[in-house]
Amino acid sequence: MKTAQVIMDTGAHAAALAVKSARVDVVPGYPITPQTSIMEALAAMVENGELHARFIPVEGEHSSMAAAVAASAVGARVFTATSANGLLYMHEVLHMASGGRLPVVMCNVNRGIFAPWTLWADHQDSMAQRDTGWIQYHCSSNQEVFNTILQAFRVAEQINIPVMVNFDGFAISHCLMPLTLPPQEDIDRFLPPYEPEWRLDPAHPSSFSNVTNAPEYAPFRQMLSDDIMASIPLVKQAAQEYKDITGMWDGDTIDTYRLEDAEVVAFAINSMGAELRLSIDILRQQGIKAGLLRPRLYLPFPAEDIITALPQNAQVMVLDRNYNFGHPGGILASELKSILFGCRNDITVKNRVVGIGGIDLTRQFMASEIRAMMDE
Amino acid sequence: MNNMLELRINGFGGQGSVTLAHLLAQAALENGEQGQALPFFGVERRGAPVRAAVRMSPGSIHAHSQCELPDYVVVMSEKLTKAAVSEGITEKGSVIINAPYAEAVEKYCTWQVDAEAIAREAELFSADGPIINIPLFGAVCRVLNIPQNIMEQTILNKWPGNDEARNLGAAGKAYNEVKICPPLL
Repeated sequence: MKTAQVIMDTGAHAAALAVKSARVDVVPGYPITPQTSIMEALAAMVENGELHARFIPVEGEHSSMAAAVAASAVGARVFTATSANGLLYMHEVLHMASGGRLPVVMCNVNRGIFAPWTLWADHQDSMAQRDTGWIQYHCSSNQEVFNTILQAFRVAEQINIPVMVNFDGFAISHCLMPLTLPPQEDIDRFLPPYEPEWRLDPAHPSSFSNVTNAPEYAPFRQMLSDDIMASIPLVKQAAQEYKDITGMWDGDTIDTYRLEDAEVVAFAINSMGAELRLSIDILRQQGIKAGLLRPRLYLPFPAEDIITALPQNAQVMVLDRNYNFGHPGGILASELKSILFGCRNDITVKNRVVGIGGIDLTRQFMASEIRAMMDE
Repeated sequence: MNNMLELRINGFGGQGSVTLAHLLAQAALENGEQGQALPFFGVERRGAPVRAAVRMSPGSIHAHSQCELPDYVVVMSEKLTKAAVSEGITEKGSVIINAPYAEAVEKYCTWQVDAEAIAREAELFSADGPIINIPLFGAVCRVLNIPQNIMEQTILNKWPGNDEARNLGAAGKAYNEVKICPPLL
């Protein structure tokens, strides 16, 4: 039996290696910093024959998602990647993927959006796609990026909903760290070939996505809404079976650290969720009972798991790397308050917007922010 | 976390700081530890100040920020010494400088190696001039007590069959020549 191999690699390249081991059929792509290195790696793998897929270079992200939608509709396993303004440019076609019930998997390497221009990470880009009907994971490490892409394909193909795998630009995408590669036969066992229930097929002509009247349109939209909610058990099952096969675990819908007896809970996503473990250790050394709750799944928002995991009377410090324009603070805090309302009146929610446009989020800074929030 | 070693490389664009960071992270893995290289990418230009974070730890590394208070600061050019140290270093931190002369920096334990002279002597040149990151890699490995054979294996894995003798010669010379500057009185 073959054993796992440990290599040093960046988060972006880890994503490309996961896509390769998922044995995708089609990769449409257009470059944008900091995502470009994923596309470069996949293009090279196709060129040198390591990956038996069709690479489709396109003239922009709108076309990239259009190509992904078309390829998925004929039954291909499809991957693409983007960042920031590229994701915004895709926005219209993201709805086509979800409404068309096409299980495309895409990485979004989080980057702040213009204006003014920035190259560095915040989460305004993915949060702005909240209402497109995509499932969204947010990853905190290179290894989690690799593991999550494989889990994403499985969930997407089980429920016919596209999945976006988000991770921070530079802090993860350009960070070189050890990466464990499970043997390919284990990955094949976890992620069998894609067998669509339905596909466009010239031998059996049919039409797809016609104009519908309200009595047909409304049930389609209701089904999409219901199925997004129904993906939660599939996300958990995928995480568990991935663990059973590879031994690796990043959490399922949520990931926690020193949470059980916590009085002060840090609540954040992406790479902050890794660095915050160190902030929690600093706060614990200062005598503060601190813990971490990191939603790994942002959409659907894992309400039940969060409500169950939060200790009694906790003060929850939400660190948002985005703005909820028109409201004070960020989007995660707003989501959290909406699920707690009326069922966990013991919980206090406090919120800060931090790390916009790549402002460095050190363990010391986040520990002192949390301390300051305690006195508010 | 207490056993995590943090290091920041300060250099000019084109001096090979990112590759040095990658080599050090790879050496950590080769040495049986976890390693991380996290370069800071600005709007890249040749000659602009650049920096990269490197972490080594016996256990998992969860940090993903730039090194604010590193244990070691590696200065790719002595012209950057003051700016590099003022970006932050722990109280008992050490500085490793590529310089032709030995001069301690403030209160910090300061290691000096003439990486440029070693690169010239080994005839290691790129289009930008002498390749200083290979001798600096050797020097930093020595300061961090990474065994010389691990240092050599890391270079061989990185560039198999490519300039092996010159790379190992330059890195080995720096490994043996890097020295502590006399402390300031």
